[in-house]
Amino acid sequence: MTDTPTEDGEEQTETGDRQATGEQPGPETPTGEQPEPDAPTDVGRPSVLVPLKLLEGESLPNGVPELLANARVVLLGYHVIPEQTATEQAREQFGEKAMSKLDEFADSLAAAGADVETRLVFTHDEATTIDRLIYEYECLAVLVPNSAERVDSVLVALRGTVGVGRNTRLVAGLFADAGVDVTLYHALNEGESPDDGESFLNGVRADLVERGVAADRIETLVEDADAPLDAIAGRAESHDAVVMGETDPSVTTFVFGMPSEQVAERFLGPVLVVQRERPEE
Amino acid sequence: MDSSDPPDSSGPSAAAGPPDASGPTDGSGPSRAGVEVPDTLAAVVDADTGEGELERTIGLVGGLAIGVGTMIGAGIFVFPGLAAENAGPAASLSFAIGAVIALLVALPASELATAMPRSGGGYFFISRGLGTAAGAVVGLGLWLGLVFAAAFYLVGLGSYAGQVFLEAGIALPIDPAVPLGVAFGVGLTVLSLFGTENTAALQNGIVILLLVILTLFLSYGSLDALGVFGAERVPERFFPPGGTLPVLQTAALVFTSYLGFAQVATVAGDITEPSRNLPLAMVGSVLLVGVFYVVTIFVATSAFGSARLGEFGETAMVEVARSFVGLPGALAIVVAGLLATFSSANASILSASRAVYAVSRDEIIPETASRLNLAYGTPHVALGLAGGPIVVLAATGQVALLAEVASFLHLVMYGLICVALIQLRRERPSWYDPAFRCPAGFAVAGVGGLASFALIAFMQPASIGVGAAIMIAAYGWYRYYATDVELKGDF
Repeated sequence: MTDTPTEDGEEQTETGDRQATGEQPGPETPTGEQPEPDAPTDVGRPSVLVPLKLLEGESLPNGVPELLANARVVLLGYHVIPEQTATEQAREQFGEKAMSKLDEFADSLAAAGADVETRLVFTHDEATTIDRLIYEYECLAVLVPNSAERVDSVLVALRGTVGVGRNTRLVAGLFADAGVDVTLYHALNEGESPDDGESFLNGVRADLVERGVAADRIETLVEDADAPLDAIAGRAESHDAVVMGETDPSVTTFVFGMPSEQVAERFLGPVLVVQRERPEE
Repeated sequence: MDSSDPPDSSGPSAAAGPPDASGPTDGSGPSRAGVEVPDTLAAVVDADTGEGELERTIGLVGGLAIGVGTMIGAGIFVFPGLAAENAGPAASLSFAIGAVIALLVALPASELATAMPRSGGGYFFISRGLGTAAGAVVGLGLWLGLVFAAAFYLVGLGSYAGQVFLEAGIALPIDPAVPLGVAFGVGLTVLSLFGTENTAALQNGIVILLLVILTLFLSYGSLDALGVFGAERVPERFFPPGGTLPVLQTAALVFTSYLGFAQVATVAGDITEPSRNLPLAMVGSVLLVGVFYVVTIFVATSAFGSARLGEFGETAMVEVARSFVGLPGALAIVVAGLLATFSSANASILSASRAVYAVSRDEIIPETASRLNLAYGTPHVALGLAGGPIVVLAATGQVALLAEVASFLHLVMYGLICVALIQLRRERPSWYDPAFRCPAGFAVAGVGGLASFALIAFMQPASIGVGAAIMIAAYGWYRYYATDVELKGDF
């Protein structure tokens, strides 16, 4: 869908397969309106990482297959093992059981229409594993797997122009043909006027329309919120899923957890956390 | 860290190559990251066999910390008094002999570890290289060797904990070292059964703190010993009255201070880039602690006469520090000693449990022994098999005997590691393709093996007796239970 040359010249290898599945995004070429020129490599379905702690009883929540029907899902089953235990030891004992569970979930995702790749990892460190797989599959987003009864409307919380191209790619890729209402939300930053906010969201809307999302399904919402996270969590209640970005770790992050985590805890529905562009090595 | 949230991207950064279903480290892809290059060997071991893949999470620093953290507790904080009493200032030579032997074994062990980066360490190499019988003797011996070592560290830990009471001016009616050691043993076992231990980060911190305290202390002590601060020290006769024999006997006694490098190999399955990090961590940790040990003895025997040091017993270093800088120095060494013996004891308990797992995986002992508890993810049977005997042995309080039996059982393994290297290099089985090759392999392994076995001869008869009995019992068990297990070349 984009002919912007990629920085490293790499092409997604499975472009052809994706087209065969018939879920091609619109044929439009992005124009100057695209707020970020950094969104190029992914041709075809957006990759979404779905991490599940299989052996702690986490299963694929309701609504997730529907939510990710148009995605290339990287289904990661993982088990965190205390350091006093060898990973091999856990694999030997639990590997088979975990794998069959994972396959079951993969089937239900595939039945809903998603392309699925499964990985099962025994690890001492959750963050290392998730981060490694985000890189390996160039995942646009990671799902916080909470359940949704249905997927009719999605809240897309946008902070600013940086990296917004990845948000639009994800939203358009997942929901362009899915008959889902998209609400673009922006909490004003300091020194930003409501007009600035509106024009930012209108730019994003135009980009989404160009990527194949029906214009009448997109709403915009600008708000001057003292506590953006509370506001997002509050707004989310009238939606079925949330799309938001990850944040730089900061002191508040250490104390209160990642913002997306805080939102997910209060919202209790699925949250797609859009990943920053990972630096190339 | 208990959420499904993405980690921040400040973590290791890997180039996003085209996803490849054949796995992350297929060796032909682009370099995955600045800190990580494809490790073909690791890829083979971790590859998904239909039951999931394994994440490697311990880097070079973590590996060094395991080695140093396991070793440094004994050599610096328990042995100086005992060693000086036996061998005088020449005890530093004893420690140097130990370092040389450890290095001669660490090099062949590194080669084997990069050819077989699997959990189990020395047991794994020997069972695959020399067969089930030798493997069973070493595997069961390694388990009990670590049990003896852990009990020894616990008594040391108890001595330092007792020293806390002394420094606080609280008089106790009995020597608290043994009861406290036993209490710590029970506590650590329970902790490892139920705790989601995040000891790696803690271990790194402890080791760095220890190295800082020791570097300051030993620098000051060395300058003082060389007369920089003006105090005249009368140099003691270097060799003890008995000549070289006590030096060699002491080398056998204090060899327990060098057991830790093999622990790096027991977690080989968790080490990132094993081809590079395993040899560096093993050889590096031996060199590092060897230097510290030799300097420590030099400083200690300069500060006090050897006989005086011997009277101070396990906590002699506290008195040495006190003689330099008074109470603050003594307190610093008490704290350092607590940390060091604690981390050594903890590491040994965990390694002993891994040794049990390794032999149970190969069905040398019943499989039940390696069952994991799903709720805690810990091998409760194996930890029990480690913690139970450790507590019993710690209760005996026989520091020298515990140390020597631990050394005995390890030295047998080290000798056989060298034999396994020679055997594998001669047989050249198709799977044997080490990324690191020990320089002058045959010579190093030959001398290392001979030296390991020879050192055993200088131990007390009682230690040799207990060690030999354990080996005979292990062999008997193999004949009774595991004769139908074929492990040679099973890789």
